[in-house]
Formats: sequence, C-alpha cells, structure tokens
Amino acid sequence: MDLTFNDAETAFRDELRAWFDSHEPGPEPRHDEDAHWRWRRDWQRQLGAGGWAGVHWPQEYGGRGATLTQSAIFFEELGRAGAPLPADVLGLLLAGPTLMVWGTDAQKERLLPTILSAEETWCQGFSEPDAGSDLAAVKTRAVKDGDEWVVTGQKVWTSGAQYAKWCMLVARTDPDAPKKHQGLTYFVLDMEQEGVQVRPLRQITGESEFNELFLEGARISDDNVVGGVGNGWKVALTTLMNERAGLAFFLQVRLRQQLDKLIDEAAARGLLDDPVVAEKLGDLHVRVEVLRLTAYRGLTAIEKYGQPGPEGSLTKWMWSDTNQQLVQLAADILGADALVADSPWAYELLRARGNSIEGGTTEILKNIVAERVLGLPRMR
Amino acid sequence: MNFDFTADQQDIKRTAHDLLASRSSLDRVREAAESGTPDAALWNELRDLGWPGIAVAEEHGGQGLGTLELAILLEELGYACAVTPLLGTVLAAAAIEHGGSDDQRARWLPGLASGEITGALGPADGLIPDAPGAGVVVALDADGGARLVDPASVEAVKTIDPTRAYGRMRADGTGAGEALTGDVAAGVDRGAIAVSAELVGISQRALEMTLEYVKERKQFGTPVGAFQAVSHRCAQMLLYTESARSATYFAAWAADADADRLAEGASLAKAAASEAGREVTASAIQAHGGIGFTWEADVHWFYKRAQLDATLLGGTGTHRARLTRLVAGRRAGAATA
Repeated sequence: MDLTFNDAETAFRDELRAWFDSHEPGPEPRHDEDAHWRWRRDWQRQLGAGGWAGVHWPQEYGGRGATLTQSAIFFEELGRAGAPLPADVLGLLLAGPTLMVWGTDAQKERLLPTILSAEETWCQGFSEPDAGSDLAAVKTRAVKDGDEWVVTGQKVWTSGAQYAKWCMLVARTDPDAPKKHQGLTYFVLDMEQEGVQVRPLRQITGESEFNELFLEGARISDDNVVGGVGNGWKVALTTLMNERAGLAFFLQVRLRQQLDKLIDEAAARGLLDDPVVAEKLGDLHVRVEVLRLTAYRGLTAIEKYGQPGPEGSLTKWMWSDTNQQLVQLAADILGADALVADSPWAYELLRARGNSIEGGTTEILKNIVAERVLGLPRMR
Repeated sequence: MNFDFTADQQDIKRTAHDLLASRSSLDRVREAAESGTPDAALWNELRDLGWPGIAVAEEHGGQGLGTLELAILLEELGYACAVTPLLGTVLAAAAIEHGGSDDQRARWLPGLASGEITGALGPADGLIPDAPGAGVVVALDADGGARLVDPASVEAVKTIDPTRAYGRMRADGTGAGEALTGDVAAGVDRGAIAVSAELVGISQRALEMTLEYVKERKQFGTPVGAFQAVSHRCAQMLLYTESARSATYFAAWAADADADRLAEGASLAKAAASEAGREVTASAIQAHGGIGFTWEADVHWFYKRAQLDATLLGGTGTHRARLTRLVAGRRAGAATA
C-alpha cells in the first residue's frame, strides 16, 4: 500500500497546477443560464487549447492518454482551483469514450475532434417519460426508410439539449424482438433538424438544466448507427459504465470545499463548541474523507484487476447522500439566512435533491449493489 | 498510488484468515465464551507465530512490521471473533513502545512481543479490555497521560461480551503507577486503529453471515434476500463496512508512512468503524429475524463484541468531535499563516 503519488503523477499534478495558475474561467455569471453555458464552453475551449480537455482520451484522439489516477488528479485539481466542469461533460465522458469503443472510423473522425474543442456539444437521449431507470422499456421508435431512419417518440431529463448539436439516442428498431432489450439501437441524432423539438423543463431551482425532447419524423442516416442495428443495449451500457468514472473526484472536491466553507461559517458564529454541531460536522468530514479514500481504492482495483471492486458501485450513492446532508446542515447552522433567494446555500439545498435521482437513483444503485456485488437473488 | 495490500501483506491476511478459520471456529468461540476462559491452545499458537509482537520493534523481540500488518491481523481476529488476549497485549505494547522510556520499553516489550505476558490498556476510570490476568496494565488518565499500574489492582468485570475479559481499577488503586512520559497519544492512536480493524472484521463477518442466511431463508415462497427491504439493508451494511475499511486502511498506512496524519486518521477510522460495527451487527440480527435473537445463533457474539469495541478508546461521537476540532484548527491555522 502506498497512498502517495508516484513521480509521474506528481509531475502531472504540478504541470496542471501551474496551468491553472495562469488560466482562469473568469467570474461565474449567475441567474442567466445562457451566459452560464457560454462561460463553461469558453472555459472548455481554454482547457482544450491547453491540451486539458480530454485528459483520459488516448493520444490518437487528441487526449493525453492519462492514467486513471491522473484523470482523478485532473478532476481533483479542477475542483481545488474552484473551476467549473467543462461545458460538454457528456461528450467528454460519455459520448466520446462510447464512440471510441463502438464507432466507425468515419464517426470517430467526424465527431471526436469537435467534442474536445467544444464546437459541438452533446446530450443523452436515454430516459423517457415511462422509462426512467428502465432502459429496456424505451418506446421511441426508429423505422427504416431507404438508407435513413425515421424517429418518433419522446425523451425526458435531457440535460444540455437546448445547446447540443448531437444526441446519443437509444431507440426501438425491432418491436417484435423476443426480449425487450434486444430490439434497441444506438444512434447519433443531429439535433439541428425539423423533427427535433426541445422544450425546457423548469426545475425546483427555477433553472432549466433539463429538457423534454420531442421527436416527430426526425431523420438519422444509416452512417449514424453506432455499434450495429439491434446492439443498442450493449452500446448504452458502455455509456452508462463511463457515467460515473472520474467525475467522482471532482464532486468529492466540491464537497470538501463546501464542508470547509460550512466549518468556517460555524466557527464565525461560535458554534464549534456546540456538541451537536461539532458531531455533525465531524460526521460529514468522515463521509467526505471516506468517499475520497473509497474512490481511490476503486481506482487501484481497476488498475490492478481490470475491474472495479464493490467500491465503484458505492461512491455515487455515498456522494449524493453526503451532499444532501451537508446542505441540510448548512440550513441548521446559518438558519433562515441560508434560505434567502440569493444565498448559494439555498440553491445548493434545492439542487441537491436531484443528486439521489440523476445518474441512477439511490434505490436503483442499492439494487445494483445487492444483486451484482452481494449476489442476492433478483428482486421481486 | 496503490490503495491495496502488497503481496506480503496479502499473504499475512490469507494465512491469518485460514489459520483462524481452522482453529477458531464459531463452536470454539462459543465454548470459550460460555466457559468464560480464553482459548489457550489458540493463544499458544498465535504466540508461536509471533502475532503479539508483529508491530513491536525487532530490538525488543518483535517482528518490526507496521500498524498496517497489525491491522490485518486484528481484522481477521474480529472476523473470527477469536477469544484471545491479543488486543489488550498489542494495545499495551503500542502505548509502551511510543509512550514509554527506553527503560520501560526494554523491561516490558520483549515479554509482550513474545506473549509471555499479556497486556491491557484502557481508561483509569473505566473498563479495560483483557485486563484480568494481564502482566502489565496501561491506565489512561483523562488529561492524556498514561501510567503502568499494578495488575493486582484490577478487578474482573462481567460485560455483555463474553468473548473478551474486562476489568477495572479497584477504587483504591487509581492513584498509583509509573508514568509513561513519551508520546502516549501516538501509541493510543495506533491502538484505536487496531480496534477499528477488529470492527472491520466483525462487520465483514456479520455481513457475510447475513448474506448466506437471506439467500437461503424463504418466506412467502421466495428467498427473503429478494425483498428490497432486506436487500437494501444488506447494501447499506456493505456501505458501512467498506467505509470503515477505507478509513481504517488509510489510518494504518498513515501511522506507518505519514505520522502527521496519524491523529486524524485514527479518529477517522474509529468514528467510521464504531458506527459500522454497531449498525452492521444490529442489521445482521434484524435480517436473521427471530433466529437472530436466539442464543443458538452465533450472530450475537459479533453484536456484543461490536458494542464493546465501539466504546473502546472513544466512540463515534468522541472521534467526530475531535475531527471537527482538528479540521477547524487547521483552517484557523491556514487563515493566520
């Protein structure tokens, strides 16, 4: 066991820190989502120009070929620098790596470079109104018409759709397939066409991070099938498996920063001697540290054994739980001040409710842990 | 970055696991617990293998390995719920090694390392694990000091945990004893990590026993492990256990490699492991249903040991509050630096 960074990792971190010292995302625009998006896209362009956009991508695709630990360091340092995530997280973490595994040469050549440069961004068309966590229940249809597919259906919780050029779309191409997940195909859908309508969904924060997506006769050429017709389930699993890798470290550092801020708030109010406050802050400190350590254990497991241990399935659940408890404690420590409209804590308090739903609900994660990690019988 | 055991450490873990599986079955644990006497044959075997001295320096007759190796043994000891005086002995050795004078080290460590005498460590005004029959007892005072007290001043106390002997100082003996003048906290923190490791092993075993049970046991014509109320409880047990494991392994590593983080690591480990031990063993009883509440089922040995371990050298609340003080102090220091 050695929990220090090796020379290559330290060098990577130092180079990154030096870069962050001379590059800044600029002040964060508030209460204007379009401006906020432009701010993050410009930031991604800076990252891309410096060679830091797709650090975990292989060099042949314009990445740095960073190891898992280096990718973790990248997200940790991004968080430590107080910088935002790049705008096209979905392209960098999900669409790009999925295309590298399943895409044709032409798809990779056309689609990968514009992800890195943030010229074209992505959204993810998996969820549907009647198929939240159940991908096999997808109803959106794609029907063959010459060398094109005609798509009809509805998607929901599509974040970034209002800005996206491309959508990772899972649609049903064979309604008669014997098993529901066998009739699915994975497409790259061009969002800039008549049959695609984006309707923003207003969230409890008042923002419209997510959208509904209406597809009525949208067309996709044969060239934009990914991984072959009928293989949508397998290809989508690649996307889903990539969903939480790496990002855990960014989220963990954000938690650390929020907790430090809260400890300072408590200290400023003379509350650190309150045993209840001290215990709750200590509990959160344990959770945040355990999350970081467990994520690192997961990385070691992947590097040594090629697959994550049980740790991998636990970190997203731990993170959402911890973040929700942290913002709730902020409301206890700051009182009503935490709940005035322009308090960052107020926003976090509302936004955190989504943490245990997005990217796999806590209930689904518990099912996964129970069935795949603990080997318990299938749920009834 | 390699957050996993080395090949040597994995060997130690596997060897310890296999040995305890064959020598300290739950039948043996029951026999020792019900008769109220430690498993002498097992203790002799552990002595021959050098377990008591695993973390004691070679110059004092130990194996000179680290807190990480000590934690590996303690985890397996907890997993087996083995009835031996090993915990008290290694806690006393850690306190004397780090908190004692050259003379005290030379006098006590060889005997503790070989297991010729057993040791104990605990609060001067509270319960001390493995104190009855110990050859040397380290009493911790409320102000952070420690004393070597006369073992004759210890009286045995029955606790809810019959898998370990407990004692306390007789009321008239609390004032006496030879002070340890070194870094007592460094020894006690390593002790807290050892107790945490035992709790990780207890949690792991309670989880495994539960999984085995809920896969087999049928109700309403289906294995109870297929009901989400049960399976989600098991997932939560894994979360507690793995959290305690991450914190404890980190702390043990820090004790050996990064002493600046020892205090924080020890509190992190003890806070997480105490919580895990209590929650997981309680859940194990619940998931076993009525059977789990009987004397015949073995799951209660783990619940009882977890309850006591969770209080040793400070419980979850104590260590959380200590962490808040440490972190807030660090932030205040950074602000003024």
